[in-house]
Amino acid sequence: MLELPPVNVQLLARALEAFLAEELRASGLAGYFVGLSGGVDSAVSAALAAAAVGPEKVRALALPGPASSPESLRDAQTVAKAFGLELDVVDLGRPTEALAETLGARADRVRFGNMMARLRMVALFDRARPVPALVLGTSNKSEILLGYSTLFGDAAASVQPLGDVWKTHIFALAQVLGVPDPVVAKSPTADLWPGQTDAGELGFDYPTVDPVLYWHHEGGMGRDELAASGFPPALVDSALAAYRRNRFKWRPTVVARVSASCINVDRILPRNPER
Amino acid sequence: MGKSAPQQGDLVVALAQIATCPGQLQRNLDRHLEMVAKALEAGAHLVAFPELSVSGYLLAHGVLEHALRLDDPLLSPLLDASRHAAILVGLPLREPHGGISNAAVLLEGGEVRGVHRKLYLPTYGMFDEGRYFIPGPRLEPLTCSLGRFGVLICEDAWHLSSSAILSRADLDAFIVISGGPSELDLGGEPAGGRRWHWILGAVAITTVTPVFFTNRCGWEEGVLFGGASWAVDSRGATIAGPAPALEESLLIAHLSRAAAARARTLTPIPYAERLELWSAVTERRDA
Repeated sequence: MLELPPVNVQLLARALEAFLAEELRASGLAGYFVGLSGGVDSAVSAALAAAAVGPEKVRALALPGPASSPESLRDAQTVAKAFGLELDVVDLGRPTEALAETLGARADRVRFGNMMARLRMVALFDRARPVPALVLGTSNKSEILLGYSTLFGDAAASVQPLGDVWKTHIFALAQVLGVPDPVVAKSPTADLWPGQTDAGELGFDYPTVDPVLYWHHEGGMGRDELAASGFPPALVDSALAAYRRNRFKWRPTVVARVSASCINVDRILPRNPER
Repeated sequence: MGKSAPQQGDLVVALAQIATCPGQLQRNLDRHLEMVAKALEAGAHLVAFPELSVSGYLLAHGVLEHALRLDDPLLSPLLDASRHAAILVGLPLREPHGGISNAAVLLEGGEVRGVHRKLYLPTYGMFDEGRYFIPGPRLEPLTCSLGRFGVLICEDAWHLSSSAILSRADLDAFIVISGGPSELDLGGEPAGGRRWHWILGAVAITTVTPVFFTNRCGWEEGVLFGGASWAVDSRGATIAGPAPALEESLLIAHLSRAAAARARTLTPIPYAERLELWSAVTERRDA
């Protein structure tokens, strides 16, 4: 069976720390703001940022909702303590319920979950504004490729240090960065409703699907080649369906080009010119 | 550092591996001047900077804002500094009749001594240089009081014909300046550094000419650059470096001209190069 090529995680960590240090320097802002879910992705992002710019420049928010598990908040607190981060807890339960009621979205758990994810984004960008800080993203390559995220919710951030890192490698990164074991060991979850897990919703776990995605997305292998190389056809079909179905999330919006100077089409410009 | 003590007539080259920022030209210029000052303290005769060192690499359409003419006042501090040591910098060069070149500019004695315009503009994968730059029209050495140098910009060196052709031009050395991005794999350094090591080693050995390589490091627009600046002699032995991948560094490399000349006498490979075979293949293909 084809495998996901390994990566030197020590070097990866050093490189990503340098990335976060440079993005903060180039932006001219004062620090990072990160939402700690109690999961491994946000723990790794936070650990990298703390190592890159110092824990005093990284503020953390725990944002429990009406359906969040109590372990999530406990794990977020464990992560904040492990990396010396100041953690504020903002309970989004009441505002989410109120907005869901107003919009009539309470009965639909996907709508309610998306609303929860987007309110977390609102809280992070709001708290980041007065610092002023960049919002530190926590999305990884596997979930981006599969589209397993909420557009303008958890996918929204100023920078995404893990956006090109396979989830399989994030577990390894977590180990070298010293993320507490219970956070690494637990099943990945968006924590939007009770009992939700990534694997339960996707139908496969990340160590299983990452090699399929790698050999398709980077290796250029098609469906039949993947199946012939030993991947279960049902896994391949399911992974590639998500890869195609949710691709619109890779570029969250499309601008209608009606001039010869369309932004990001005819004029691609550096994000941080001299001010 | 070289393995033997510096001799009279040696060339001391400083390879300034810096992390530039696209569009932050004043900051980049300050980094140049800091590195030149350090290089002078180390006795350097020539200081080489990476590709597009003045502007940053991933400018994209930002070249329209940041391309420079050779008489741009921004370059004045570098020209002043070049009275103390020759300086090779990379910048987007605004051409008099339109178009922008990805250029390497050799400064010495307060003047521009020569310009190499990048010949091969990669436009594949993550690269889009053909969209923003025009290709250089010719390949010829750059000269200053220190000697004759085959200056290549990044992708130029991936076409081995560039070094084969220049090797017939009585060079003192190649200077390859690069903005080489890199991915990570299981290696202890970014993968790009290994590729450069193979390419530059092959250039040095097959042309029997020393190679000085300066690459940028750091991040631009979410893209990692691989560093690993290096100096290698005409037999493939390391003179200095490789520099660490992720950190700004200044390598000081001593080149023995006498040793380089001896190597070319003992191993006269470039003098046997039959460049007409290349054109013969091209003519047959086009016939």
